[in-house]
Amino acid sequence: MIELTRRNFTLLAGASLSTLFAPAVLGQGKPKLVVIGGGPGGGTVARYVNKDLNGAIDVTLIEPQKNFTTCFFSNVHLGGYRSFQSITHNYNKMRKEGVRVIHEAAASIDRDKKQVVLAGGKRIPYDRLVVAPGIDIKFDSVPGYSEAASLIMPHAWKPGPQTQLLVKKLNALKDGDTIVMIAPPNPYRCPPGPYERISMFAHVLKNKGHKKSKIIVLDPKPAFSKQALFLEGWEKHYPGMIEWQDPKMHGGIKGIDAKAGVIKTDLADYKAALANVIPAQMAGKIARDANLADASGFCPIDPETMKSKMDTNIFVIGDACIPGDMPKSAFSANSQAKVAAMVIGGELGNARTFPARYANTCWSLIETDDDVKVGGTYEPGDGKIKQVTTFISQKGEAADLRKQNYKESVDWYASIVADVFG
Amino acid sequence: MRNPIAAIAFLALIGPASAAPDIELGRYLARECVTCHRSATATSTIPSIFGMAETTFAVVVKAYRDKQLGNDVMQSIAERLKDDEIDALAAYFARTKQP
Repeated sequence: MIELTRRNFTLLAGASLSTLFAPAVLGQGKPKLVVIGGGPGGGTVARYVNKDLNGAIDVTLIEPQKNFTTCFFSNVHLGGYRSFQSITHNYNKMRKEGVRVIHEAAASIDRDKKQVVLAGGKRIPYDRLVVAPGIDIKFDSVPGYSEAASLIMPHAWKPGPQTQLLVKKLNALKDGDTIVMIAPPNPYRCPPGPYERISMFAHVLKNKGHKKSKIIVLDPKPAFSKQALFLEGWEKHYPGMIEWQDPKMHGGIKGIDAKAGVIKTDLADYKAALANVIPAQMAGKIARDANLADASGFCPIDPETMKSKMDTNIFVIGDACIPGDMPKSAFSANSQAKVAAMVIGGELGNARTFPARYANTCWSLIETDDDVKVGGTYEPGDGKIKQVTTFISQKGEAADLRKQNYKESVDWYASIVADVFG
Repeated sequence: MRNPIAAIAFLALIGPASAAPDIELGRYLARECVTCHRSATATSTIPSIFGMAETTFAVVVKAYRDKQLGNDVMQSIAERLKDDEIDALAAYFARTKQP
C-alpha cells in the first residue's frame, strides 16, 4: 500500500488530472469524430459530442445538402397543414457551435486507414466514425419500377423533390380519379407513415369536394402499424373512399407500368391518376459498400453502444441500423445518437458513461385534430435493443385527446429539430 | 464533529434519502426529455421543465409513473425511472436554463 505523503498525493493528483485531459486516442492534435449524414441521427450526434466535450474533439459532419427537408412531418405538409419551408432546415447554427460541416457527398469509407473519402477525392481521417446515411430505395423490389419511373410514380420516401412531386400530383387530381399506393414490406422507415399518408391523401380530396375519387392501398403485409386506429379513422372521416388490400385480397403485386400509369396485381390491373410506389428499403449505399450491412441490407449494431458489429471504430445509427424492437424513425435516430454520443465522449474524451437507454414516439395524423400515437422505451436485452415499456392510442378516444395529440406532435417537432440542427 | 457516535447519528439522520442527487446522471437522462421539451413555450402543450423546482418535478414525474396523471408518453417514460433517477433529473432541470 502506498503511504499517502504530500509528495505522493501530488503525484497521484497529477496523474489523474493528466488522465482526465489526455485524449484517449493517440496521435497528433485533438481526437477526430466524423459523421456521415446530417439527418436526425447524424445532426444529433455531431451537436452533442461537440457540446459535451466543449471543443476537445474535432467534429466533422459530412452532408451533401445545404438544406435538409425532414421526412417526418412531410405527410403533414402533404395534407396542407405546413409549408415545405417549415420542414426544411440548415446547418448554420450547428456550424456556429463549432461543428465543421462539409457539404459534399461521402463516396466511401477506407476502414483500414480510418478515413472517409469524399466525392471529390479528399480524405477525412477519423478516430471514430458515425454512419447515418438513412435508407436507400430498392427500386427493383417492385417489377417495372426504377429511379426514372419514380419521376412519374413518386415514392416520396426520401424527402425533398420527391415530396414536392407527390404534392403537385395530388393537388392536380380531379374528382373520380384513383390513387394507388403500393405499401412497403417490413422493415422500412416510419412504420405508420404510409397509412398517415393515405389519410392525408383522403383529407386533401375530401377538402376539394371529391365525391367519386378512390384510394387503393396494395399492401405486401397482412397487417400494419396502428391498423385498428387507421381503419376506424378512415371509416369515420372518409367513408367509402379508401380500400386497403392485404396479400390475400390482391393475390400479389405483379408490377407497374409507369408510362401507362398501370399497377398490376393478381386480382386486377389498376389505372392510377396518382401512383405512390413505396418499395422495399435498405441501408444507405455508403454503409453497404463499407460492408457494415448484413444479408438483410441493414447494419447490425451492439445495443449497448450503437457500434457496428463489423467495426469497433464505427457507429451506425438511425434508419440504416438494425434497431431491434425500435422502429425506424427520426425519434429513434435521435435517441440512438445520444447513446452513441455518450459512448464517443467516454472513448475519445474520457467523459463519464452510463448504461444505454432509448425511447421513441410516433404520432400520426388521420384528419384535422385527430392524431394517434404509439411509442415505448427500450434498453439493451437479449442481444438487441429491447422494448421495456410501450403504449398505443385506443380506438374511440375522445376528440379533445386526439386534438391534444396533434398539438403535442407539433411541439415535439419544434423540439426535435432544434435538438438535431440547433 | 469530534464525537464519532454523534457523527454516525448525524449521517444516519440525513441517510440515503438525502444523498446528493447525481446531477451528471440527470444530465444524461435529461437527453430523453429534451427531444420533446427542449423548445417548449408558455403556450405549448408540452410544458417547459427547465428551472422547475426539484420537489415539483419529482412529484409530477412520480404521479405519471403511478398513472395518477394521464399522458401515454409521459407514463411510459416515467414507468422505468427509479427514484434516484427522478431525483437526478429533478436536480439537473432545476439548475438548467432552457437552451
